[in-house]
Parts: sequence; C-alpha cells; structure tokens
Amino acid sequence: MSNLVIHAASYLGPEGFGNDQTGLRAWPAVLAGNLSRGELEGLHWSLLSDSDPSRFLRMDLMCRLGFMAAELLAVNFDALSDTRRDRLGVCVESFTGSLDTDIRFAQTPRPSIFAYTLPSTVIGELCIRYRLKGPVLSLISPDAAGASVLTEAAEWLRASDAEMVLCLGIEAINRSTVNALSFPEKLSARGWHGAALLVGLAEKSPREKQFTGGALVDACRKLCSAPERAC
Amino acid sequence: MGIALETAVNEPAIAIAGGGAVCATGLGLASLQRAVAANTSALQRRELVVGKTSQSIVAGFVPDETVAQLRAADAAHSDSRAFLFAAAALREAAENTSDILDSIPPQRRGFVLSTTKANIEALDNLVRRQPVSAIAQRQIQPSFLATDLAEAFDCRGPVQCVSAACISGLSALLQGTALIRRGLADVVLVAGVDLISQFVLSGFNSLKSLDPEGCRPFDQSRIGLSLGEGAAAIVLVKRELLSSPAILISGGGTSNDANHLTGPSRDGSGLALAIQRALTKADFTPEQIDYVNAHGTGTPYNDAMESLALRSVFGDHVPSFSSNKGIFGHTLGTAGILETALCMTAMQNNLLPGTPRLRERDPVAPASLLATPQPAVHVKRILKMNCGFGGTNAAVILEQEQP
Repeated sequence: MSNLVIHAASYLGPEGFGNDQTGLRAWPAVLAGNLSRGELEGLHWSLLSDSDPSRFLRMDLMCRLGFMAAELLAVNFDALSDTRRDRLGVCVESFTGSLDTDIRFAQTPRPSIFAYTLPSTVIGELCIRYRLKGPVLSLISPDAAGASVLTEAAEWLRASDAEMVLCLGIEAINRSTVNALSFPEKLSARGWHGAALLVGLAEKSPREKQFTGGALVDACRKLCSAPERAC
Repeated sequence: MGIALETAVNEPAIAIAGGGAVCATGLGLASLQRAVAANTSALQRRELVVGKTSQSIVAGFVPDETVAQLRAADAAHSDSRAFLFAAAALREAAENTSDILDSIPPQRRGFVLSTTKANIEALDNLVRRQPVSAIAQRQIQPSFLATDLAEAFDCRGPVQCVSAACISGLSALLQGTALIRRGLADVVLVAGVDLISQFVLSGFNSLKSLDPEGCRPFDQSRIGLSLGEGAAAIVLVKRELLSSPAILISGGGTSNDANHLTGPSRDGSGLALAIQRALTKADFTPEQIDYVNAHGTGTPYNDAMESLALRSVFGDHVPSFSSNKGIFGHTLGTAGILETALCMTAMQNNLLPGTPRLRERDPVAPASLLATPQPAVHVKRILKMNCGFGGTNAAVILEQEQP
C-alpha cells in the first residue's frame, strides 16, 4: 500500500486567491465587488503576476481559470525531466463545463471560440503550456456531490498510469452571460472557482517548498470529497 | 501526510455483455451490421438552417422515420433528441443483456455518459427565442442528461459523465471498466450521444473541416469530415458473469499531443503514445493485434497523422485497418462507443469492416487499409483508437476469447 501525496494546492474564487504557501489573498478592492457577484470580465492574469502568458488572452473563461489555478501552484513544470512530464496526468472536473462559452458561441459563432466549447480544452491548453503528455480525463460532475477528480488521480497513481497528476476543479460561469439568455438559474448556479492540486506518490515534491498542509483547505474542498483527510 | 491507496489484488477482467445503437443506418445494431457487411454509406445530403442562411451538407443524420418513431413512443422527451437517441441505444443494450441486468440490484449498476454537447440543439433554440421544454433545456447540461438517463434505466450506483472531445467515448469505456475494477459496480451501462445541430455545424464550418460531398477517409483526395449523429451503448460486466467466448476490454490508454488545440500533431507521436499505453496495459505486443479500427475522419491532417502513428507502432507490419465514418459520419462523443460496438459485432461475425466511400488509398496510408469487408477465421484482438480537439488521443484493446 502506498500513499497519495499532495505536492501543491491553489485556489481562486469569489473570496480571493492563493496557494498552500500564501494562504488566501483578497482581490483588489476595485474588482472584489464584481467578482463576488460572479461578474468576471475583469479577471486577468496580470492580477496575479507580471508575466504575460501568450495564450491567455485568446482563452475562454474556463481555460483562464484553469490556467491561473495551475500557475498559482508555483510549480516549475519546465524543470521536470521529459520522462516525468510524459507521465504527468491531467484530470479536470466541472459541473457547468463550457456552458458559459457555449452560450456565447450559440449567440455569435466565432471561429476563435469554437475550440473552447469543450470542457476538455483546458487540458489541451495546460498540456501545451507545460508540455505534458497525459494520461488525460475530463469529467462533468453529475451532481452536487461530484468531486471525484482526486479519486481518479489516485486510480492512475495506484495503477502506475501516471507518476503525478494535475487535478483541476473549475466552475466558469459569468453571471452576465447566463443572465443575457435567461438561462435557468438552477442549471448554472454553481458560482465560480478554479482550484488545482498536484498529487503524486513520491514524497519528494517537484516544488522547492513542500506542501503546507491546511493552509488552503478550501482548494481541496472544491476538489475532493474528503479534504480534511487529504490536507 | 497522504492518503493511503488500496493495492488491488486479482483485478477482475471486464467484458462487454452487449450493446445497442441508433445512427444514420437507423435503429439497432442489426441495421449497422447490414451496412458494414454491404460496405454502404448512410450519409445523406440535407439542407440545414445555419444562422440566417441555409446550407447543404452531406452527413450521417438519424433517419426521419426513426426520429418520428422515438418521439411517438416518448412524448415527454420529444424535443430532446439527445435523450431519445441515448435511451433507444440503452434500451437495445439492456434488452440484449436483460438476463444479467435483472440479476444485479440497481445500487450495483453504474452509468457513464459520453457526450461533447449533450442536447445542444435546445441551446440553439433558446438563443433564437424558440420554444424549448424544461426537460430539453435541462438536458443541455451533460450532467443532467447523465443523471436523467441513469434514472430512466434504474442505475442507482455511481454515475459519471465524460466530455473529452472526440475521445469521450473511449474515455467513458475506460471509466466504466474502472468502476467495476474498483468494486463500485457489478455492471456499468456506458452510453454515448451527440447531435448534428446548428451549433456543431457552425463550429466545423468555421474550421473549414467539412467535405461538402461527404467524407472519404484515407482517400488520396480526401478534404474533410462528415458530421454524424446518434447514440450507442455498451454494457460492461465482470468477465465471470458471461459464458464463453466473451469479448474483453483488455487495456486502454490516453495521451495528449501537447502541440495544438484543433489540429493533430503532425508526427503521430501522441496517438502512438496512447496506443503503446494500451498495449502495455493489456500486456500485448503489436504483433498480437489482428485489426485496427481507426479514427479516420477524412480530414487530410488526421488521417495522415494516424498513418504515421500506425507505422510508428507497427513498423512495416501494420495490421488490417479501416475507418467506418463513411457509413455514419463522425458522431463526436458517440464515436468511441459506436465504433467499439461495431468492433464487437466484427468479432462476433468474424468480418473485418471496410472503408466505405474510399476511392483511391492515399499512398501515405499503410497498404493494409481495408477498402471492403474481409472475412476472418477468428478476430482475436482489435485496437480501437480515437483522437480529438485539445490534442487528445485514446486507444482501447478488445480481445475475443477462443471459442
């Protein structure tokens, strides 16, 4: 029997953003009101970092949240060997999936949007960004309990299908998109967040700083059904 | 700090108990088998409204009479074709396996749905301020379509929904096997469904990836794919519940190209990696594969990439292979399950499917491409593969036991 180890955790949502090292930080006051209401137009990578990921601006909201959560992990994926990246799985789970982008594409079918009308596109973006080869899995949570992404990661690790797994839980709903269509509230009312966990079997973290247990329990709570046990 | 992982001992073999389908060939696997045996295409030309104009496309539409028949039998879902199609495929699969299903309590029956866009035509209608029933709206969301189907078929065990572009079907099959292997279910119904809709047509139009005259996979002059629609279902069980010879899911693997969002890698390395992972999982060598059921969409890049991946894995001894999308089009989230169901019937009938609509093989494609169906003495192992947007690849290996 071996242990699943959490190497890093991150979270961004209405309450703020951060990782297991930093804890939760508040959004700038100018944005905090909008973000708490689910108005996400102002959400941009530059709020978190001076770096300018070239692909960020073309991404849809779901990819942006997944991308920001992954970057917030503060793991230098580029420093990993090719062999380790070839065995680094990516697993994403969402209830609303690409609904926000689907609605926008149905209203105005623009070629640049179509590739983002899939909840799995964020996996492609992250694999391109970090040169990861999988395995890959994109799940839609069938109910509020959902949250099986960590279970799936554990299965890959147990079966030696992967050495580490980047787990993501993303809800990407911009209130204005849904309201414009009068889309039934109960079909999309999940708020918004991006959360990431990097898990593996080896005790040695791919990050310089070891995981700080308990500092960002919310991130785990969004992702797994037994967060206290994990964190 | 960590979570203890259980070490599996004596993992059970997982087998396919039966299946069902509704696609361009009509209702039922038998209609699909007839088309395979005759090597005929069910693609049809229709005029579709796209935005404020109409467009003539050749695609794999579920026949009108089939849709009318399904609507007449289930008025509550008359404007949710996604539910009607999936339920029809599941009904056939459930009837084919009723002796097993009836013996397993609902709490031990799992359900996995594969779809890219669920009942997306309801979103098209909402945007255009057309009337849409509450059920049809609800089933825009893959999560609700999954739970509604699971409830309709009395699956009260674990429910999952996979939405992973065009590898959704194979990914869902692997999830189904995992649910049984982990001991969470004794039987898992795996269903795939997708529709031809304004939404999907607009998207593929924008990528300029459709062949206006209909797809010709692996053909020298191929220029694009044909959309398809429908549903397919497969019932997975522990091997021990079936009599011999059973068809097993022996292994599978997924990968990512890490290259491009909407185009495949040019060298086929990502798909080759998925195939290698599936072979390793099944503990087979490439030489042990009898037949490959390709993704074979008919786009220039996809089919060239697949040809390279096959050569990369199999060298100069690529097994017989074919693409069946000339029969029913590219059914997106249904594809992996529909094409696996087709592989299942190929094993049962010992008939390797051909590549309908092929005129002249692209020299880049290995010479073992089957233009027409080919009888075989015993089809023992089949490699099924699909690729999709986001650079995703998946491969699954089926094995038929000796009679």
